[in-house]
Amino acid sequence: MRVVHYLNQFFGGIGGEEHADTEPQVHDEPVGPGRLLGQVLGENAQVVRTIVCGDNYATENMEALTALVLEQTKDAQADIFVAGPCFEAGRYGVAAAGLCVAVSSELDIPVVTGMAQENPGVDLHRQTLYIVDSGKAASAMREVLTKMSDMAHKLASGQDMGAPAEEGYIARGILKDTFVEQTAAQRLVAMLDAKVKGEEFESELPAPSFPEIPAPAPVADMSKARVAIITDGGLVPKGNPDNISAWAATNWGSYDIAGKDGLQGDDYEVSHRGYDTRYVEQDPDRLVPVDVLRELEESNVIGELHSQFISTSGLVNPIANSRRLGREIAAQLKESEVDAVILTST
Amino acid sequence: MRLTLAIHQIGSLSLGAATLLDGNKLVVDPEELRLLILEDTRLRSVDIETVSPGEDCRIGVVFDILEPRAKESGSGPNFPGILDPIGVVGQGVTHVLRGVAVTVVDGGAGLENGKILEMTGPAGEASPYTSLHHLVITPHSAENVVRHSEQAALRLASVKTSVYLAQCALEITPHSAEIFESDGPVVKGRGGLPRFAYIGQVHSRQRVAEIDEKILYGDNTAGMVPVSLHPNEWLDGAVVTCNRAMGAETYFYQNHPVILELYRRHQDDEITLVGTLATMAASDNDERDRNCMLAAEHAKWNLAADGVILTKYGGGAPHADMSLTARRCEELGIRTTVQVSDMSWDRRAESALLFNYPVVDAIVYVGGRDTDWDVPAAGRVIGGSGELAEELGAPRRLIATNVCGVSSQQGISRLRAMVH
Amino acid sequence: MEKAGIPVCHVTSVVPVAKMVGSNRIVQGQGIVHVMGDADLPAEEEKELRRKTVLQAIEALKNEAATP
Repeated sequence: MRVVHYLNQFFGGIGGEEHADTEPQVHDEPVGPGRLLGQVLGENAQVVRTIVCGDNYATENMEALTALVLEQTKDAQADIFVAGPCFEAGRYGVAAAGLCVAVSSELDIPVVTGMAQENPGVDLHRQTLYIVDSGKAASAMREVLTKMSDMAHKLASGQDMGAPAEEGYIARGILKDTFVEQTAAQRLVAMLDAKVKGEEFESELPAPSFPEIPAPAPVADMSKARVAIITDGGLVPKGNPDNISAWAATNWGSYDIAGKDGLQGDDYEVSHRGYDTRYVEQDPDRLVPVDVLRELEESNVIGELHSQFISTSGLVNPIANSRRLGREIAAQLKESEVDAVILTST
Repeated sequence: MRLTLAIHQIGSLSLGAATLLDGNKLVVDPEELRLLILEDTRLRSVDIETVSPGEDCRIGVVFDILEPRAKESGSGPNFPGILDPIGVVGQGVTHVLRGVAVTVVDGGAGLENGKILEMTGPAGEASPYTSLHHLVITPHSAENVVRHSEQAALRLASVKTSVYLAQCALEITPHSAEIFESDGPVVKGRGGLPRFAYIGQVHSRQRVAEIDEKILYGDNTAGMVPVSLHPNEWLDGAVVTCNRAMGAETYFYQNHPVILELYRRHQDDEITLVGTLATMAASDNDERDRNCMLAAEHAKWNLAADGVILTKYGGGAPHADMSLTARRCEELGIRTTVQVSDMSWDRRAESALLFNYPVVDAIVYVGGRDTDWDVPAAGRVIGGSGELAEELGAPRRLIATNVCGVSSQQGISRLRAMVH
Repeated sequence: MEKAGIPVCHVTSVVPVAKMVGSNRIVQGQGIVHVMGDADLPAEEEKELRRKTVLQAIEALKNEAATP
């Protein structure tokens, strides 16, 4: 097995922060931790090429560095690409993870890196890479390299990857179904028993985190504001012209309500699988309150009702998808100079 | 309260000239059963078939699956509020045909997202139902019967058939007896054992229950607040599934995995099972706040529970009700575990949870969206109308969440989604 | 939407979820099946209720974010 190894200037033996601008250097032999890597990989593997690069150079010239690494790795006829381990070093981690992603997608060979959970490289690429959990201490180099070596062999042989805890990589946040011995009921009772007794227990899902979004400033004068209605309740014109899916919708629609004093059930339908839609289909104002907002526009409580309402279907929508829909809708409303939004959710 | 299940182990099921139990052989007279079912004028005909364990057979759309059970005379009503008049269940003797299921096909339901029973292959192996002998009934409604009346007729036919089958065992000595006995919250002499309770949703008002939909003692749960049920009442016919129940069948109320596991530990003197609450997922915030508050307060002050297990019903929104109840329990000093359904369509853990309360930290995550099977054409199909059966029988991809019993909300699932 | 600086008032019947995902201005709706109405009310009263809910939303947009 031929291995190409990437190191930063520090682990590559060039020096510390004062050498962070060092341009990439290519060696046809193992360097620094690469020697130890060669040992733990075993007899059938050798580090045939090492690329060493300064952290700042890498950060500022990622494209050039990536091109060089791809070329060198290909030229070395590598079977596997290893970067790091980077421990807590942030710029190093970002470069290593980025290079791994590039090599994996361009050259289609297994890639391995290692870093601490807190390394920003983890946040960027954990979902696509198997990143060995290195911890923070560089003194554990041999142990970490051994884990990376095991991972390299496993990936090279094409075996199925097990759970993060058993394989030693940082959870990628991907759910995989497994059939287990115990029924859910048995797991529930056993977990409760442990929890009541104050013993340790393992939840099957860690809590999610949603970043806080600072609230935009209030609208100073609603009587001059252009107000738009958005709904994730799936109201669409009859025939669903944009084919908005009834669940996990990947698109949204924008529908004309200019001049309408209210919405008629005959003109609309609901594309949403998550609730009993009969009531909204009888009277769409129950979801998209055009009737009331039109009156409030006439009595100048609001300046203007935006000429279109926007609709999608929120049911079981992956978060990444929802974020994209949100961005797209926001861009359009920005362009239409909308000042405020009423979002109705089922 | 003490309930004795008289277990008759059944080894074979066939149609014949008279309904009877001969040793472990169950014979069903389809004509007598047909007359009984068709007493309901909302139905014009019914197909009655048997399916053997592991047979190359695909059945859909499944309305419900039940275990054949009948109460001994003097032991209380059968499915009160649906079949028999209202009266308490959970005590006396109930005869059980173990190894048999009544499976009801809903010919009026669309195949899309409909529940399927796959009796063979890897999809079948993942289901707890494939080891059973199924008596499959497919009622067909009369003309001009509106949909909810059709569903009400299916419900009545399902419980009628369950009781009819088991009645032939009433005079026969069972193979074994299972006894479920708990004195509830006032239990004495079990000091020091942790007191466990169960809070289960029996409906979600994301779908408004029909006026004639019978879920809890015949009630459609509209306007319902949490009610206290003895664990035995779940096991003995107080609760059935709603008209369109994903991940739930009446069979696993009768054999409720959470309640049975709690009872097992109760009988082993590891815990004390102090009681259960039935509740539902609300449609608006006041209703949700009220129900969650009442359920938690009830668990605290009436059941004096140390720990509570919570399960949800329906789709995504009921997670809010379940987790809010769990949070209130935790605030009252009651520890909780909750079972959630697989809501992550992109397989990202970040998309998986519909609540985020730090104290609701013990989660059992039933998978399902990551598991499917490409199944070949079925050797035999039971599928309501001709067109539907043809479509159902063709090679298709079966998703775990649509195969009865695989990603169940009732606690029987062995699927677990792990974060990789 | 709010990242783009447009204030949003989220009208929903599942307030816990809205809070979890970080909605800053939340108004409680009438029910999952008709967030802006109530099918059990006569048409006029239902519309009056809808007007009240919408006015609450407008009020929320006029003010600094504080959820109910």
